[in-house]
Amino acid sequence: MRQSRAFVLLGTAAAHSGLVAAGSLPRGVGPEFVKFYEFKDTFTCIGHPSISIPASKVNDNSCDCPDGSDEPGTAANALPGFWCANEGHIGAYVPFMYVNDGVCDYQLCCDGSDEYRGIGGVKCENRCATIGKEWRRVEKERKENLERANKKRRTMAKESRELRRRVEAKITTLQEEIKGLEFKRDELKQKYDEVERSERGKVVKTEGTGKLGVLVGLARNRVNELRDVLRVVMGQRDDLKGKVEELQGILAAFKEEYNPNFNDEGVKKAVRAWEDYAAKLVEAPAETLHEDDIQEVLKEDTDSNGINWKEYEEGEITDTDILYSLEAYLPGPVRDFVHDKLNFIRIWLIQNGILADNPTSSGESRLVIAAREAYQAVESEISTKERDLSSQQEDLQKDYGADDIFRYLKDKCVSTDAGEYNYELCWLSRTSQKSKKGHGHTTMGNFERIDWEESDEEERHDGKGLGRGKRMVMRYENGQGCWNGPNRRTDVWLACAETEELWRIAEQEKCVYRMEVGTPAACEEAVEPGNVREKDEL
Amino acid sequence: MKSSGPLSTSWTAYLCLLSVLCSLFTPVVLVKENDFKKCHQSGFCRRNRAYADHALAQSSWQAPYKIFSAEGAAAVSLKDGQFEATILKTVDEQGSTVNLPLTVSFLKSGTARVTVDEEKRKSQSIELRHDSKARKERYNEAEKWAIVGGLTPDTDAKITHEDKAGVTVQYGPEGAFEAVIKFEPFAIDFKRDGTTQIQFNDRGLMNMEHWRAKVDKPEPEKKEGEEGQEGEEKKAEEEPKKEEVPAHLDESTWWDETFGGNIDTKPRGPESVALDITFPGYEHVYGIPEHAGPLSLKETRGGEGNYEEPYRLYNADVFEYVLDSPMTLYGAIPFMQAQRKDSTVGVFWLNGAETWIDVTKAKGSKNPLNRNSKASTNTHWISESGIMDVFVFLGPTPKDISKNYAELTGTTALPAEFSLGYHQCRWNYVSDDDVKEVDRKMDKFNIPYDVIWLDIEYTHEKKYFTWDPDMFKDPISMGQQLDDHGRKLVTIIDPHIKNVDNYPVISDMKSKGLAVKNKDANDFDGWCWPGSSMWIDAFNPAAIKWWTSLFKYDYFKGTMENTYIWNDMNEPSVFNGPEVTMPKDNLHHGNWEHRDVHNINGMTFHNATWEALVSRKKGEMRRPFVLTRSFFAGSQRLGAMWTGDNQASWDHLGAAVPMILAQGIAGFPFSGADVGGFFGNPEIELQTRWYQAGAFYPFFRGHAHIDARRREPYMAAEPHRSIITAALRLRYSLMPSWYTAFFHANQDGSPIIRPMYWTHPSEESGFAVDDQFFVGSTGLLVKPIVEKDKFDTEVYIPDDENYYDYFTYNKVSTHKGKSVSVSAPIETIPILMRGGHIFPRRDIPSRSTQLMKFDDYTLVVVIGKDGSAKGELYVDDGDSFEFEKGQFLHRAFEFKQLLLTSEAASKPSAEGQAEGEWMKQFRDVSFDKVVLVGAPSSWEGKKEVPVTSGGETHKVRLDFYKAEGGRAAFAVLGRLGVRMGADWEVDFA
Repeated sequence: MRQSRAFVLLGTAAAHSGLVAAGSLPRGVGPEFVKFYEFKDTFTCIGHPSISIPASKVNDNSCDCPDGSDEPGTAANALPGFWCANEGHIGAYVPFMYVNDGVCDYQLCCDGSDEYRGIGGVKCENRCATIGKEWRRVEKERKENLERANKKRRTMAKESRELRRRVEAKITTLQEEIKGLEFKRDELKQKYDEVERSERGKVVKTEGTGKLGVLVGLARNRVNELRDVLRVVMGQRDDLKGKVEELQGILAAFKEEYNPNFNDEGVKKAVRAWEDYAAKLVEAPAETLHEDDIQEVLKEDTDSNGINWKEYEEGEITDTDILYSLEAYLPGPVRDFVHDKLNFIRIWLIQNGILADNPTSSGESRLVIAAREAYQAVESEISTKERDLSSQQEDLQKDYGADDIFRYLKDKCVSTDAGEYNYELCWLSRTSQKSKKGHGHTTMGNFERIDWEESDEEERHDGKGLGRGKRMVMRYENGQGCWNGPNRRTDVWLACAETEELWRIAEQEKCVYRMEVGTPAACEEAVEPGNVREKDEL
Repeated sequence: MKSSGPLSTSWTAYLCLLSVLCSLFTPVVLVKENDFKKCHQSGFCRRNRAYADHALAQSSWQAPYKIFSAEGAAAVSLKDGQFEATILKTVDEQGSTVNLPLTVSFLKSGTARVTVDEEKRKSQSIELRHDSKARKERYNEAEKWAIVGGLTPDTDAKITHEDKAGVTVQYGPEGAFEAVIKFEPFAIDFKRDGTTQIQFNDRGLMNMEHWRAKVDKPEPEKKEGEEGQEGEEKKAEEEPKKEEVPAHLDESTWWDETFGGNIDTKPRGPESVALDITFPGYEHVYGIPEHAGPLSLKETRGGEGNYEEPYRLYNADVFEYVLDSPMTLYGAIPFMQAQRKDSTVGVFWLNGAETWIDVTKAKGSKNPLNRNSKASTNTHWISESGIMDVFVFLGPTPKDISKNYAELTGTTALPAEFSLGYHQCRWNYVSDDDVKEVDRKMDKFNIPYDVIWLDIEYTHEKKYFTWDPDMFKDPISMGQQLDDHGRKLVTIIDPHIKNVDNYPVISDMKSKGLAVKNKDANDFDGWCWPGSSMWIDAFNPAAIKWWTSLFKYDYFKGTMENTYIWNDMNEPSVFNGPEVTMPKDNLHHGNWEHRDVHNINGMTFHNATWEALVSRKKGEMRRPFVLTRSFFAGSQRLGAMWTGDNQASWDHLGAAVPMILAQGIAGFPFSGADVGGFFGNPEIELQTRWYQAGAFYPFFRGHAHIDARRREPYMAAEPHRSIITAALRLRYSLMPSWYTAFFHANQDGSPIIRPMYWTHPSEESGFAVDDQFFVGSTGLLVKPIVEKDKFDTEVYIPDDENYYDYFTYNKVSTHKGKSVSVSAPIETIPILMRGGHIFPRRDIPSRSTQLMKFDDYTLVVVIGKDGSAKGELYVDDGDSFEFEKGQFLHRAFEFKQLLLTSEAASKPSAEGQAEGEWMKQFRDVSFDKVVLVGAPSSWEGKKEVPVTSGGETHKVRLDFYKAEGGRAAFAVLGRLGVRMGADWEVDFA
């Protein structure tokens, strides 16, 4: 199997074997050098035409030419290697280092001529007939596979084109929609301004009761604002809580699993610090807000929940004590916070002459509210669409590889088991690792970019390998940090294959992973890296 | 002996507490050191140092040891080279004595051996504390492991003088040696040619702690085994009452001792052996590895530039060891040699227990016969237990010392030839695919290598003799791929066996009773890589036999003929043990305490693995390759060692050569340091310089920690990749010279890389030089660059010979005893060729050693000042033991009076024996070219020279290059075309 695997790599060498007139030439001369060795009595050194030596000195195992060209069978520096004609297969150069070292290098020299001295009794029979036959068979199969994979890619490319077209269509639609909405918004804005102007006069007229209305409006906005802030804060808290829990988990596991006798003071110190920290945690359980209470606050105000704003807007309550009674519906821990804030608002309002010390005030008229809300609704719709538009536009700009091929694969994932882990590659998003013993998963990198690198591996018999040549390498970086080390990262090497498959995963050094993945997306690399870059510049 | 037991326990506890407190507050750098004992924390070391301080402070100190005499005449005898007497030790003011039988053996080799035992223990008439099952005798089996020969008595030894004061025994070659045995106090002076070279007990520090019963102060209900804990609690109340006891009378460390929370029950009480050994007139002493410090040992009793602590030998897994320190490391060879101009002598302190050695130097000599000497070296040897057993070598040359020591402990095993090639290691190559890929990459970049290594992660959950089923699914195909190019695999096997269910190795070891026992004679359980583990007791012959069975191809599946073994952690490393090793009161085969055998332990395990590899299947006998971290005197017979877990730093690179030189002169030259440094990531310049240095380590392995970046040679960017490759190629081209050097080590114990004092014992200015060396007898003088941004160096020149640059043939302008500046840009290793040597090379690059097996040779003749040169070449199949049956070729080359000759240097004892398979295959291997450096100018115009072999003469082309600029004249002889095994001569006249 090892041998047959190697045949494929000969595919790149040109088939010159027919040109060599076997027998008449000194041993080891490759076809393109034949002309130098068609001599009769004297040989002229290739690199030093002034030096000629007797024909008998050629291949006598002793260099006479400064460039060694008189020794094509042993160590001629001037030549690319020892030529194995490999009749029945494909001729190839064997490095001089491999000649007469007692090993039949069949992968390069199927005719066995590299071991012509029979060092240590080694005999390398000519295996070109079988090797050549097998190679042709494998090559045929490989070509067929490649054909299928390429076909698959064409389908993928088509799909991707369609996806791209959809994005483009979406963009056009969005742009049109936005244009329409902008027109509508301008109209509404005008209307709102008018209404507001006309209503302001009324408010001025009914100053006595209008102020509370304004206040209620302000308070309501403020409360909504606070609610939004709280929501964000809660989100962040949950995030942090998750992180703290994760860290505690890591440290707890660390404490359990570290080797207490390894005499690493750094580790010991960290463990001690963790123990202290954990002890404190048990001693003083922190005051916690009840989740339900917070949820309660986060709920939009309605008739039955929180403050029924309508009541205040519609009714003519003139008591600013309402500000304080707001607190009534707050759970204890939040109350102080809100109390402070409200107090602050009140003072600010008073100071700025908006709120009289004297509790007489009224709100905006419903007309104004309606106009403003209509205007704001459109405004927010526009910004939503604009966001959508810009994300679609960004998406178009993004590097999806040649032919946008990864558009088709985006967010699809492939995975494989290796050792005690399951590894997953999600196209253009992230790579991750999941322990089968179940410690949750670890991000091994987030997609960063596509590079090209030279691969130089033997073709595998099953085709599941990178082979030789330029290959796409997807960089997934900034994964989860390693303890005592850098952030994890993954290089995802792609090779052409009919089906998406994560062939291999290796952690060659701590926290640096390499995935080898087969995908039709890597086939037909008609587009060279240079072109890709050009594309980027567009 | 007043009753001070309770007091002493509390005092110990107090000290321990103090040390614990100290370790909490001292800066982090010192923590590693604090994990290991200082002399004052080791009871017997503290006692003996105090004893020495006390003795040396007296103006008229009389050591309490004398040779027993009845009615005025000593009852002594000398028969068949063996002198016997009894030493009486006075143990109290009433003059009570104990008997210490003394034997001085005079050996045919000229070596003398002094053995002192203790009668009461020997006859087992003592009582052990704690119901211990341990043996009662002083340990006397170290020789069973260390000594393999050289004990033939010198029957010509005779008493030449005898009176009441003592006897003089004449012995050694031509009777040139004398031992003057003094009766009261007991002392011995060893003389060569009438001059005293070595003195025993001259300073009266001899101390053999005789057995005594523990006298407990009456105390309410004190139970045995609890003293340690109780002591700690009592500390507070008893401390104020403590009286000041003079240090040399302090009995606080006689019994149970605690360190790092571990209690040593010491069932036999105090039993140390100590002796002062003086080298009058000798300013330099070397040896007693393994320590990370200069080759020439430093003084250890403080003072500027000196150490405060004695050199310690107590094999330990020292994590991130410190440099320039006398602290103990992984192995121990208690063999020291002393050097003065034109004389080398040595002592071998055969003891397997924890040992400390104080070294001090005295200005001027006490010996009036030695007027020229500038200084003397005093040493004080202190071991925790065992008999006193010391060998004395009187030289007079370093070569004699190496040879005499090798006669006793054995020589370096002739290595499997591949093991001299480059070894590629990493903790860890993660899978069989990974290994194959590295193998392929090395070929892709034309980087030669021989062996790839697997650290502990290849196993299934750290169970040795198993493979990780996920990552190493197909180890055989991996082994085969390596074998395709003659390469080998080394897998790690450690002595700790995972204590877990469903693991036949542990259940077998337990059921057969082959594990090391704890003090209660139950299987000892400790913590190591696999977690809970037990340790094979390789002192037990049954354990060796069992161990051997585990390596059979059908047991250790997935391994092949090209699999070899690495023994790590064999100090043994026990993560939760005192000083990261076993409790001293653990019990080994024969109920010897671990205390007695600790330093030998690593060697016994190494030995068991060696035994296992010699014959992995019936009828097969192949040279094993086993790398060990722990070692003792004699380990050289079993394989190679490396200097353990070093760091990727310039100072560790610098520390490696002195350490390897120390190994070489201590009889275990097959040694190396991890190239690149184990911990950390070397910058590229450091890595490159390390490969250049490593190419001249006898054992040449690149290794890296699991957290380190990948750093296989091909990972380096240009130009460093090519520079590293060139260093590796240089190693491979010189392989015939390396193998010949190993052959010499195998013959006579000589070092592979040789310090200046060893090659030039008359040149005092070179005695302290330890950063350069000669390679075998090739005359290649190498000084690796071990500093950053350093592109030239000073090479010390020990003689008046001609020296040429290895690469350019430039003649270096030198002065004996002075240094010469040699340029060393990053691509260059400073190597000089000394005139007068001939060394062989194989110049065709190849992928591995095995693939060079039948390559032709190149000879380099470096013509000396007197117009001559000499050299040797040894070759055999490099794998089997057929060489013992004469299947080898050993040639001697000489260039003299314009005639270059090759003849057999040594011939198989069985002359005319049939050629074996290898010999037949080797038949046509011949000499390709000969380079003659420093060729006479008269050769100009010479085009051909006649080569005569087997009665036939043919002409061979000669190219002469006259001296030009700084370059010396040299000549290249075209293809010689004579068989390696044939006699031949080339006439240049």
